[in-house]
Amino acid sequence: MLEIWLGILQGLGITAKVTAYGLVFAVPFALVFGVAQFLTTGLTRFLVTAVIEFWRSSAVVVLLFFFYYVLPVMGITLSALTVSALVLGLNTGGYASQAVRAGLQSLPAGQREAGMALGLSRPAILLLIELPQALVAMSPTFVNNLIQLVKATSLVSLVTLTDMTFRAKEIAQTDYDPVAIYSALLLAFFVVCYPIALAGRWLEARVNPESGTPRGI
Amino acid sequence: MLAQDPLPVSAINTTPQVQVDGLNKWFGALHVLKDIDLTIRAGTRMVVCGPSGSGKSTLIRCCNGLEPFQKGTIQLDGVALGRNARETATARRLTGMVFQSFNLFPHLTVLANCTLALRRVFLKSGREAEEIAMQHLTAVRIPEKAQAYPAQLSGGQQQRVAIARALCLNPRIMLFDEPTSALDPEMIKEVLDVMIALAKTGMTMVCVTHEMGFAREVADEIVFMDEGRIVEHAPSKDFFSAAAHPRARLFLDTILSH
Repeated sequence: MLEIWLGILQGLGITAKVTAYGLVFAVPFALVFGVAQFLTTGLTRFLVTAVIEFWRSSAVVVLLFFFYYVLPVMGITLSALTVSALVLGLNTGGYASQAVRAGLQSLPAGQREAGMALGLSRPAILLLIELPQALVAMSPTFVNNLIQLVKATSLVSLVTLTDMTFRAKEIAQTDYDPVAIYSALLLAFFVVCYPIALAGRWLEARVNPESGTPRGI
Repeated sequence: MLAQDPLPVSAINTTPQVQVDGLNKWFGALHVLKDIDLTIRAGTRMVVCGPSGSGKSTLIRCCNGLEPFQKGTIQLDGVALGRNARETATARRLTGMVFQSFNLFPHLTVLANCTLALRRVFLKSGREAEEIAMQHLTAVRIPEKAQAYPAQLSGGQQQRVAIARALCLNPRIMLFDEPTSALDPEMIKEVLDVMIALAKTGMTMVCVTHEMGFAREVADEIVFMDEGRIVEHAPSKDFFSAAAHPRARLFLDTILSH
């Protein structure tokens, strides 16, 4: 059993790498597109929304296969790691962009008006007044998005990366013990994600001290 | 006592500080301001009153470019509003605005609320900005709350901070949009006291309010609005003793009988 565990944890490095590299795509995408959707109108807003929806509303597995197998035919070859980080990152970024936009839209109009009355420019109001409030308010949602990203890394085994899921399948081929192996895999993801969930709960309690946050484990 | 250059009341001059000509505004099909002409001279303390929906808040919001308008002109110290972004920004720096709902920035301390524009618009150093902000916080009698966050203050305290924040711009004119309407009765006085002290410094003030006691004590001129028009514009004394327009008399009777 311990052997299976250690075998699976050999894939933890790739899981962590895809998550971290994925954040490099997710965070800027969420900020730029969330803000753009908030500020733009008309055709520009339609185009911004179209890009967000492409990444958010496509099946992640299909996106992975598409970018891994179809792009090389068009002469663009990306490493499995880059394709995985790009697809998972932008998919998560698509979700997070909606939290950014919703956070900005939920601020009272008086905040922007007070900024205008003080003579601040529109970009200054966004950076100094609106974004700091919106990002703090939405931080619990961003933690959820991060957990989704970690869990989605289990799909990268489909494009040859040896993450924890890939390792589990490898071990399953050599010694046939699916119950022990997939139980161990389940536990491995839980061990990675649960501390993030706890951190999220702590954050939520700090952001919203009045509202009751879920207690217990 | 306020950190303004004290200007004796007798120095009220005749330079128009705000000149509104033929102002018209629509919200969609709703005609909310109709042919408004208004001159506000430097040093004037003007109270704008009237029933709700009469356009008084919209009028002062137009005066610092928060509301766009469709027809007419507004000039602040000779600078036209609404023609282009640069002129509007210049005109805005001449005005301080106090809102009904305070609109302090909840993620910043009281001091940071006051220094924000000094640092980012007037490009003062952090230290200079803090000195100016503390002068104004002292003037509104709340210097001890400089490091507090808005949520830790009462409504009256928040509104006094909002007044200090607006004064930090060193404005030529202060606009108040129903500054006491969101306050509990016991907090109204502390805000009005600060406004009365400010009026005594000679600051040009335009205040939308239902506080007729304040209007009688402080205002030089009363503007009464109804259905998007200015129906009466008179010296304060005349307005309270003998309002000319029947609609204004009815309004006064209703509001003073309380």
